[in-house]
Amino acid sequence: MRRWIVVFISLLVISILLDLFLVVGEGHDGFPWSHIAGFFALFGFIGCLVLMGVAKLLGHYWLEREEDYYGKNDDDE
Amino acid sequence: MSNFPLAIIFVLGAMLLPLLPRQARSWAYLAVVSIAFVFLINLEAGATLSFPFLNYELVVSRVDRLSLAFGYVFVIMGFLGGVFGFHVKDTLQQVVALLYVGSSLGVVFAGDLFTLLVFWEIMAVSSVFLIWARRTPQSRRAGFRYLLVHAFGGSVLMAGVIWHMVSTGSILFNHFEGGIASYLILFSFALNAAVPPLNGWLPDAYPEGTVTGSVFLSAFTTKVAVYALARGFAGLELLMWAGAIMAVYGVVFAFLANDGRRLLAYHIISQVGYMVAGVGIGTEMGVNGATAHAFAHILYKGLLFMGMGTVLYATGRSKMTELGGLFRSMWPVLILFMVGAFSISGVPLFSGFVSKSMVIYAAELEHQGAVVLLLNLASIGTFLSIGLKLPYFTWFSTDRNLKPEPVPPGMYLGMALTSAICIAIGVYPALLYNLLPFAVHYQPYTASHVIESMQLLIFTGLAFWLVMRKLHAEATITLDTDWVYRRPSRLAYRVFSVAPASLFEAVEQLSLRLARSTVRLGANPPGYLLDTIRTIGHTFFGTKKPVPEPETFSPDRYRIPLGIMVLVVLLFLIALLAWDVIT
Repeated sequence: MRRWIVVFISLLVISILLDLFLVVGEGHDGFPWSHIAGFFALFGFIGCLVLMGVAKLLGHYWLEREEDYYGKNDDDE
Repeated sequence: MSNFPLAIIFVLGAMLLPLLPRQARSWAYLAVVSIAFVFLINLEAGATLSFPFLNYELVVSRVDRLSLAFGYVFVIMGFLGGVFGFHVKDTLQQVVALLYVGSSLGVVFAGDLFTLLVFWEIMAVSSVFLIWARRTPQSRRAGFRYLLVHAFGGSVLMAGVIWHMVSTGSILFNHFEGGIASYLILFSFALNAAVPPLNGWLPDAYPEGTVTGSVFLSAFTTKVAVYALARGFAGLELLMWAGAIMAVYGVVFAFLANDGRRLLAYHIISQVGYMVAGVGIGTEMGVNGATAHAFAHILYKGLLFMGMGTVLYATGRSKMTELGGLFRSMWPVLILFMVGAFSISGVPLFSGFVSKSMVIYAAELEHQGAVVLLLNLASIGTFLSIGLKLPYFTWFSTDRNLKPEPVPPGMYLGMALTSAICIAIGVYPALLYNLLPFAVHYQPYTASHVIESMQLLIFTGLAFWLVMRKLHAEATITLDTDWVYRRPSRLAYRVFSVAPASLFEAVEQLSLRLARSTVRLGANPPGYLLDTIRTIGHTFFGTKKPVPEPETFSPDRYRIPLGIMVLVVLLFLIALLAWDVIT
């Protein structure tokens, strides 16, 4: 468990450093996030949690139904 | 040979196939596709084949770089699907697969709207048999719904084509210039591309297809629609937004899916979203990106459906709540599946990385920041569901001690060949870029792109890993826009079928009872009246339950007994006597 966290944190640090040295200076596109080192790491992490959360909420309160919601599958056989 | 319509080869093949001995049919299928491939590489960009028809000109073959790019991938996928389904001994499936691939090619090379319409309808009718061929009650019903939706779409297309023909005097299939006719046509294209809210049919039908049928289904219908949109509606801004939203819509619903193949079906919607967005951006980079992504997507999505199809073939199960712990017995399938999963997620060195990024880059060039973020969000969801969740619940998670059946070698070979192409395109993108309609000015392997992609994927993985233990698949289904015609159909059934039937039933019962009562009243009036009075008494005053009167009249039953008459006479005499004594 702890070893994995160390791996992820070092990957984060490495990617931000790479970002700082290789990418941010380029400015190939003028978006607000182009100048934030490690933006896509943060976006990936938060985006993933938000997606899972939103999907689960939507599913729980609205979209998920019993498997025979549309009727049993053998009722006219 | 430079303008030969490929669809003819497939139609002839489909007619010939049932006449061959059963053992030779799988080989014959591959032979037909191979012959078509030879014709395909001899097609020359710019060639056309047309016939005069009434006052119009039918262009049955129109070859250019856009149609060639889709033509190549359709023929390749048709071949790979045949290898994967080599063991299939069901002639129906082989014949309709040929027709389906052939009609898709017919649409792609159609130069006029009439030819397009004919092949469009053949596509719908042939593909439905790939669902019905599973021969379960679910697949039968899903197939009917699929057919009805596509028949509706086809009718809208026909209306649009006729309107277009009348208003412009031309049936050539080129870029549409607005007006009601083109909106009708746009509607039917969008229906086949499964653009929400017209998407309900896809996740409803595709998971119900046969193991090999769904591999074919995943490849053709939606991508033919992408081609048609690219041809007719490139640069329509509405499509750019629809595509970006669709990409996220697909991943949200995919996350809720329990059936593995339904999860993959939702990711078709999501991935087609990238293509629709690319078409909507409409620049050379956008259309190139849409085409490249369609090409890569057909292959890796076919591979993913093959992977889950193999699991279904071997275990008879496709729901995550019923799968788990297959790693020890089915690890080769996992490895091949992960090639598809890494491709769709856009991991560097796999095909999705070099195709998906072209669409995002096209959006960056047009400074559509919101589209860029939405498409990246969809990438996160794609890796989450297909790269992590689905393999985790299928091959790891709870070990359900499943005993998979042995899998035919053709299925492994089909997956291995498809994997090889996915990796080849990822490692050497020029393979794909040389086929695209416009010259490619894009380099996917830049430091920034590789680093950004790795950041996105690794931290999606971290987020999944943190909540992994809390996630569990749920045995539920998810509402989608197919609700509109599935759930109210029961209401409609009640209103239009059950309700009139029970009304007629009630009226019939009432008239029968009326007739019966009339007969009884006529046959035995006093008995009937007595019965009625006693029934009222029983119902309202709680008197004894009446014994029914006989149905026919017998005067004896209602005559006063003789003893009573004697008693009355006696009493009268006593009274008379008493009167006499008193007076």
